[in-house]
Amino acid sequence: MTVISAPTAPRRTWKNTALGRFFSSPRSVLGAGLLTLFVLLALLAPVLTPYRPNSMEFDAFMGFSAQHPLGTTALGQDIFAQFVYGARLTLLVGFVAGLIATFLSVTFGLAAAYFGGRIDEAINTLINVFLVLPGLPLIIVAAAFIRGGGVWPVILVIGLTGWAFGARVLRSQALALRERDFIAAAVVSGEGALRIIFVEMLPNMAGLIAANFFGAALYAVLSEAALSFIGVGDVSQVTWGTMLYWAQAKGALLQGAWWWVALPGLSIALLGTSFAFLNFAVDEISNPRLAGGRLNLPSRVPAAVAAPVAGDALLSITGLDVGYAAPTGVVRAVRDVTLDVQPGELLGVAGESGCGKSTLAFAATRLLDPPGGVLGGSVRLAGRDLLALSPEELRRVRWKEFSIVFQASMNVLNPVLTIREQVYDAMQAHGVTDRDRLNTRARELFDLVGIQTSYLDAYPHQLSGGMKQRVVIAIALALEPKLIVMDEPTTALDVVVQRQILQEINAVRKRLGISIIFITHDLSLLVEMSDRVAIMYAGEVVELAPAHRLYAHPAHPYTQQLMNSFPPMTGPRTRRSGIPGRPPSLSAEIIGCPFFERCNTRMPGVCDVQPLQTFPVAENQTAACFLYDPAVPAAVKESAVKDSADRAGVVRAGAVRDSQTVLATRPRPSSPGGES
Amino acid sequence: MIQPEAAISTDPEAVPHTLEIVGLRKVFGARGNAGGVVAVNDVSFSIARGEVLGLVGESGSGKSTIARLIAHLHTPTAGEIRVNGQPVPARLRGAALRHFRRQVQMIFQDPYASLNPLHPVRYTLSRPLKIHRLSRGTMDAQIGALLERVGLAPASTYASKRSFELSGGQRQRVGIARALAASPDLILADEPTSALDVSIRLDVMNLMLDLKDQEGLSMLFITHDLAGARYMSDRVAVLYAGTLVEIGPATEVIDRPQHPYTQLLKSAAPKPDAGLVPEEIAARGEVPDLKALPPGCPFEPRCPHAMPECRSGLPQMYDVGHGHTARCLLHDPAIRLNRGGAVGAG
Amino acid sequence: MLYLLRKLGIFVFTLWVAATLNFILPRLVPGDPVSVMLAKYQGRLDPSAVDALKIAYGLNDLGSPVAQYFSYLGNLVRGDFGRSISLFPTPVIDVVLRGLPYTLGLVGITTILSFLLGSALGLYSGWRRGRAGADAVVPAALFLNSMPYFWFGLLLLYVFAFQLKWFPLSGALDPFPGDAFSVGWWGSLARHAVLPVLTILVTSVGGWLITMRNNVISVASEDYLAFARAKGLSERRIVNRYVLRNALLPSFTAFGMSLGFVVGGSILTEIVFSYPGLGYYLYQSVTNLDYPLMQAIFFFIALAVLLANLLVDLLNLILDPRIREGRV
Ligand SMILES: Nc1ncnc2c1ncn2[C@@H]1O[C@H](COP(=O)(O)OP(=O)(O)O)[C@@H](O)[C@H]1O
Ligand SMILES: Nc1ncnc2c1ncn2[C@@H]1O[C@H](COP(=O)(O)OP(=O)(O)O)[C@@H](O)[C@H]1O
Ligand SMILES: [Mg+2]
Ligand SMILES: [Mg+2]
Repeated sequence: MTVISAPTAPRRTWKNTALGRFFSSPRSVLGAGLLTLFVLLALLAPVLTPYRPNSMEFDAFMGFSAQHPLGTTALGQDIFAQFVYGARLTLLVGFVAGLIATFLSVTFGLAAAYFGGRIDEAINTLINVFLVLPGLPLIIVAAAFIRGGGVWPVILVIGLTGWAFGARVLRSQALALRERDFIAAAVVSGEGALRIIFVEMLPNMAGLIAANFFGAALYAVLSEAALSFIGVGDVSQVTWGTMLYWAQAKGALLQGAWWWVALPGLSIALLGTSFAFLNFAVDEISNPRLAGGRLNLPSRVPAAVAAPVAGDALLSITGLDVGYAAPTGVVRAVRDVTLDVQPGELLGVAGESGCGKSTLAFAATRLLDPPGGVLGGSVRLAGRDLLALSPEELRRVRWKEFSIVFQASMNVLNPVLTIREQVYDAMQAHGVTDRDRLNTRARELFDLVGIQTSYLDAYPHQLSGGMKQRVVIAIALALEPKLIVMDEPTTALDVVVQRQILQEINAVRKRLGISIIFITHDLSLLVEMSDRVAIMYAGEVVELAPAHRLYAHPAHPYTQQLMNSFPPMTGPRTRRSGIPGRPPSLSAEIIGCPFFERCNTRMPGVCDVQPLQTFPVAENQTAACFLYDPAVPAAVKESAVKDSADRAGVVRAGAVRDSQTVLATRPRPSSPGGES
Repeated sequence: MIQPEAAISTDPEAVPHTLEIVGLRKVFGARGNAGGVVAVNDVSFSIARGEVLGLVGESGSGKSTIARLIAHLHTPTAGEIRVNGQPVPARLRGAALRHFRRQVQMIFQDPYASLNPLHPVRYTLSRPLKIHRLSRGTMDAQIGALLERVGLAPASTYASKRSFELSGGQRQRVGIARALAASPDLILADEPTSALDVSIRLDVMNLMLDLKDQEGLSMLFITHDLAGARYMSDRVAVLYAGTLVEIGPATEVIDRPQHPYTQLLKSAAPKPDAGLVPEEIAARGEVPDLKALPPGCPFEPRCPHAMPECRSGLPQMYDVGHGHTARCLLHDPAIRLNRGGAVGAG
Repeated sequence: MLYLLRKLGIFVFTLWVAATLNFILPRLVPGDPVSVMLAKYQGRLDPSAVDALKIAYGLNDLGSPVAQYFSYLGNLVRGDFGRSISLFPTPVIDVVLRGLPYTLGLVGITTILSFLLGSALGLYSGWRRGRAGADAVVPAALFLNSMPYFWFGLLLLYVFAFQLKWFPLSGALDPFPGDAFSVGWWGSLARHAVLPVLTILVTSVGGWLITMRNNVISVASEDYLAFARAKGLSERRIVNRYVLRNALLPSFTAFGMSLGFVVGGSILTEIVFSYPGLGYYLYQSVTNLDYPLMQAIFFFIALAVLLANLLVDLLNLILDPRIREGRV
C-alpha cells in the first residue's frame, strides 16, 4: 500500500518562491552585486582609463599619482588600466569556459539519464574518469602543448576538462526526474524524445544548471589564474592571472609594489566569491533544506486557566495552539485543542491529511522543530507540565514516560548502525548500561512484537517495511512508558501487515496497560480498535466520542459524511458521494465553523458568523457543531437537516458534474445527512 | 478446469475485447538467463468494451508493471497484448505508435508527481490534442470542454493554473482530463485514488464511473483496496507476487473469495461497515522474494491450507462457477475428493 | 566483493586513460615537440640527449602510431619514463622519486588535516545553524575557497618571510641542515613547511567546511534524527553516532572526487615556495619544455590521486553497511 501524503507547504506562487527567496538572502544580493560591479568595470574600461593596458610608455614602478592611480608596472604599463581591461578577459574566461563546461555537463547528464542502459553506463564511466583525473596538472600538461593563440585555447581546455563534476550532479537529478510520473505521462501522451528532454525535463533542472554554471565559472577563473601564473597559455594577454604572472616575474613584491600583486589576486578572490555566493544561493532555492532563514513566531501564552488537575487523566492537553511561521504568515495548524487520555486507553485521532494530526502529536511530545512552535495552551503528563520542562529534564522523561512512533517509520532507523545498537541506545540513554540486561530486554522486546531475535544484528536496510515498523514499536516499548503516541504507524504498509501489527499493538497494550494515542487518516480502522475517537478538521477537534458511539451515532456532519465516504465491503453496491470541496487554508483566520463550506447541514447566519464552541451531544460525546447548540432555535436546525439532501446536490455540482444520469442505472444513494 | 482467458474471442462474430493480454511476463534486471525480479509472471486476462476490471494486490505484486507493460512503457519479456483485437508489436514507432497512444491512455497514482510543475493545465491538456491532431473547434474551447467534463468548472480559471496551485483531487481530475483528451478506448488507472484523501476519493471514483458510462470506455482500475475495487469494477482480478490468483465478477470475488490469499486480504482489510469487531487474521511470513519465487504456488509458504501438492508446480486456474476462477488446488476435483470434500476455502 | 572489483576496474581504466592522454597530447600538437625542444636547447643538447628524445617520442623507428603506443605502454609498465631533458641525463624516474616524498609529506598531510579541520568546522556550522557564529563561517569559507592558492601563498611569503623574516623564503630544507633525521634537520624541515602548510590549509579548508555543513543539514532533517532526539539520547551521542557517521559518508566521497583539484592547487603552492616536490618539478618541466618529465609527473600525480580514491572507497566500504551489501 503506498499512500503518499500531500506536500504540506503552504500555497505560494512560483515566482514568489524562487525570485523572492533569491533576493531575500543577503548572500545572493551580495553575490549579484559584486558580479554586476565587475561586469560594469569591464564594460566601462575605456571610460575609466585613458590608457591602453599594454602600452609601455611610462616609467617603471611609479607610485600612486593622479595620472596613475595605481602606479605603473615594471614594464611601464598603467596598473589601473591593466586591472580594468584585465577584468574583460577574466570575465570572458569565466563565462565562456563556464558555459562550455555547463553545456557539456547538461548534455552528458541528460543523455545518460534519458537513454539509460549502455549509454548511461558509458557516460557514467567517462564522468568518473574525468572526476578523478587531477584537473590542473592535466590542464597544465594540455596547455603546455598549446603555444600562443590568445585566451581561446585556454578557455577551451578549461571548458573541456571542467564538466565532469556538474555532469555527475545533473545526471543524478535527471535520473530522478526520468522516474517521475509526469515523464511517463508525457510518453503516454505520445510526446517525442526531444520534447520530453527539452520541454519536460530541462526546465525542471534550471536551478541546478544555474548553480552548476556558477560553480564551473569559479573553477574556470581560478584555473585561468593558475595557468597564467605559471606562464602556460598566452601571457601577452592582459588578464588578472597574467598580471600576477608579470608581477611575480618582475619581482613586484621585492620592489615594494605589493598592490600590483594584491589587487588582481583579491579581485579574483572576490569574483570567485560572488560566483560561489550565487551558486550557494541558487542551491538553497532548489534545495530549501539548506536555507537557514528563521522566521519568528509569537511566544507561547500559557493556558488561561491552570489546567484542572484532571482526576485520573494520564495526559491532558488544554487549549493547545500550534503554528508554523511561513513567509505568508502564521499557519495555525492546531487550534485550541483540548483532549485527555486515560490510563490504559487507546485514543484514536482521525482526520484528512493536513488537518494537524502530526502537528498535534509533535507539539504534545515537544518534538516540534522550527518553524513550528506552540502558541498557547498546556500539555500535562501525569500532572507535569511538559511544555515547561528544561531541555535536560525533557531528555530524561522522554521515552521513559512517553514514546513516539513516527509516520515515516521506514526512515527512522539510522542506516549505519545495527538494529541492536539502536534498541540499546534508547535504554542506555536512560541509565540501563549492563550488557546482559540490555541483551535480555532486547530479546524480550523482539519476542513481544514478533520478530526473530537474529534480526538484532541486522542493519535497517536488510528488513522489510513491516519488520522495521515492528522494530520501532519494540524500541518504543523498551522502557515501558505510560504513553505511546503513534502517528500513522501503519499507513505505508500493506493491509495484511497492517493488520498483523495492529493485532500486536493491541495485545501489547492489553498486557502492559499502556495508553496509546493512535493517529491515522483511516477512520474505518480507528473505529475498530480505539476506545475513544477524536475527529480533527482544520486544526480543531470537531468531535470526540467513544468508538462505539461514534460508529453508531456520529454527531458532527463531517464525521457523518466521512463515515459515508468509505465504499462498503458488503451489501448492495450503491453510489455514494464523498465530501465536496476542500478544507480551508490554515493560514487564514477562520470565522465560525471551518467545515461550513462543505457541510450539508449548515445553517447560514449561524455557523459562519458565531465563534465555534464545543457542545455536549450525549454522555462522553462532544461535537463542535451548532446543531448541538441549545441557543440555536430548533426550527433553524430542522430546516437545515431537512434541506440537506437538496443542498448537497447543489454544493456537489461545483465539484462533480451532475451524476443523475448514471445514478438512474444504479441504486440511489442513501442521504448522507439522514443517518444521525 | 478450463482456462477461460485462453478461450476468449474465438467467436469471430463477437466484438473484439478492448484489451486482451495472454501469458504476459516481465523480468527486471535479468543478466542472461539468470536472476532478475519476476515482477509479472504469466498473466492473462481481458477487458470487454465498456467494462471496468479491478486489479487488486499488495504493493510490489506487479500491478503497476502490468499497466506499464500495456501502456508500452516497458517491453514484455514474454506474452502478447492485443488492443481491439490487434496484437501490439514489441517495437512500435511513428504512426503506429501514435495510433496506439490514442487508444490506450493512463492515469497515474500520485497527482503530485504526474503533472509537470512548470506547465499550466492548458499546456498539459493541449499536448495530446496537438499530437493526435484532434481538432473539434478551437484549442481553448476543447480544453474548456475537457475541464468541464472532469468537473473543473469554470474552466477558464483552471486552465491557467499550475499543478501546485491545485488540490490533490483537482490535480487528479486534470490527470483524468489529460487521459480523456485523446479519446481513448482503454484507460489504465494506476491507483488513481490512493494518494487522495478519503473524503475526495469517492468523488474521483464517481467521476471515472460517469465517464465510463458516458463514453463506453474500458478501464483497468488498479488498487490495493478491496472495497474500492468492489465499488468501481465489474470484474476483479487478484494478483499475488506477479501471479494472477483469482478473477471473476466483482461481487463474486470479493463477497465470496475462493483463493486463500484473497480471503486473507479480505479479512485484513478495515471494514467500516462490519462494526467494532476486529477480525483476527492468521497469516505467517511476508511476500516472497521475487528473485527466488517458490517453485509451486507463490502463496504456499504463507497459506493456512498448504498441502505438499502445492509445492509441485504452479496450480492452474480452476473454474468455481459464475465466471469466477481461482488458482488453488483446493478447487481441484481430485484433491477435493481426497480431502473429503471439505474445501477450506470459505 | 562486486563493489571493490568495480572500483578496482575504474582505477585501472582511469589510469589507462591518464597514460593514453599522456601519449596522445604531444601528438595532437601541430609540429613535433622534439623539434620545439631542439630549437630551445639549440647547441646545448648533446647528441645522446637528442637520441634519447627521439626514442622517447618514437621518432627514431618511425613505427606505426599503434606500435609506438604499445611500446610506450610497455615502458610505463616497466617504470621506464625515459630521461629528463632539462636535467639530462638523469632518468625521469629519479627526479620523480626525489620530489615525491616532499609532495606526499606536504600535500598529503595538509590535505588530510584540512579535510579533518574543515569537516569539524562544517559539523559545528551545520549543527549549530542559526547561531551567528555558525552562520558567519559560511561566507568566510566561500571567500577563502575562492582565493587563488598561489596568490595567498605569495602574500604569506611577502609578509612573513620577506618583511618579518620569520620563515625562510624558499626550499624544503636549509642548505646544510645537518644529518638527515637529526633534530636540527627536522627543525629546518618544519620551519620551511610552515608557510606552505598554512597556505594549503587556509585555502582548502573552506571547501570541506561547506561540503560537511550541507551534509549535516541534510542529515539533520532526516527522520532518524528526530527519532534519536525523541528517544532522549544525549546531544553528544546524537552528534557522534547519528550526525557525524551519516554526514561523513558523502563527505568522504566528495573528498575523493575533489582530490584531483586540491592536488592541483597544492602544486602551485610548491611553486610559490620553491618547495622541491612534484609540483615544483612539473613547473620546471613546463618552463623548460621538458616533456618527458612533465608527462611522468602527470602520470604519478594521477596515480597518487587514484590510489587515494581507492582508499576512500575502501573506507566507505568499512563505514557504510549498505555498500557492504552491494546496495549502492
Ligand atoms: N514546516 C511547516 N511549515 C509550514 N506549515 C506547515 C509545516 N508543517 C506542516 N505545516 C502545515 O500544518 C498543517 C498540518 O500539518 P500536519 O500536522 O502534518 O497534518 P497531518 O499530520 O494531519 O497530515 C498543514 O496544513 C501543513 O500545511
Ligand atoms: N523499473 C524497474 N526495475 C526493476 N524492478 C522493478 C521496476 N519496476 C518495478 N520493479 C519491481 O517489480 C515488482 C513489482 O512492482 P510494481 O509493479 O510497481 O508493483 P505494484 O504496482 O503492485 O506495487 C517490485 O518488486 C518492484 O521492485
Ligand atoms: Mg501527518
Ligand atoms: Mg504500483
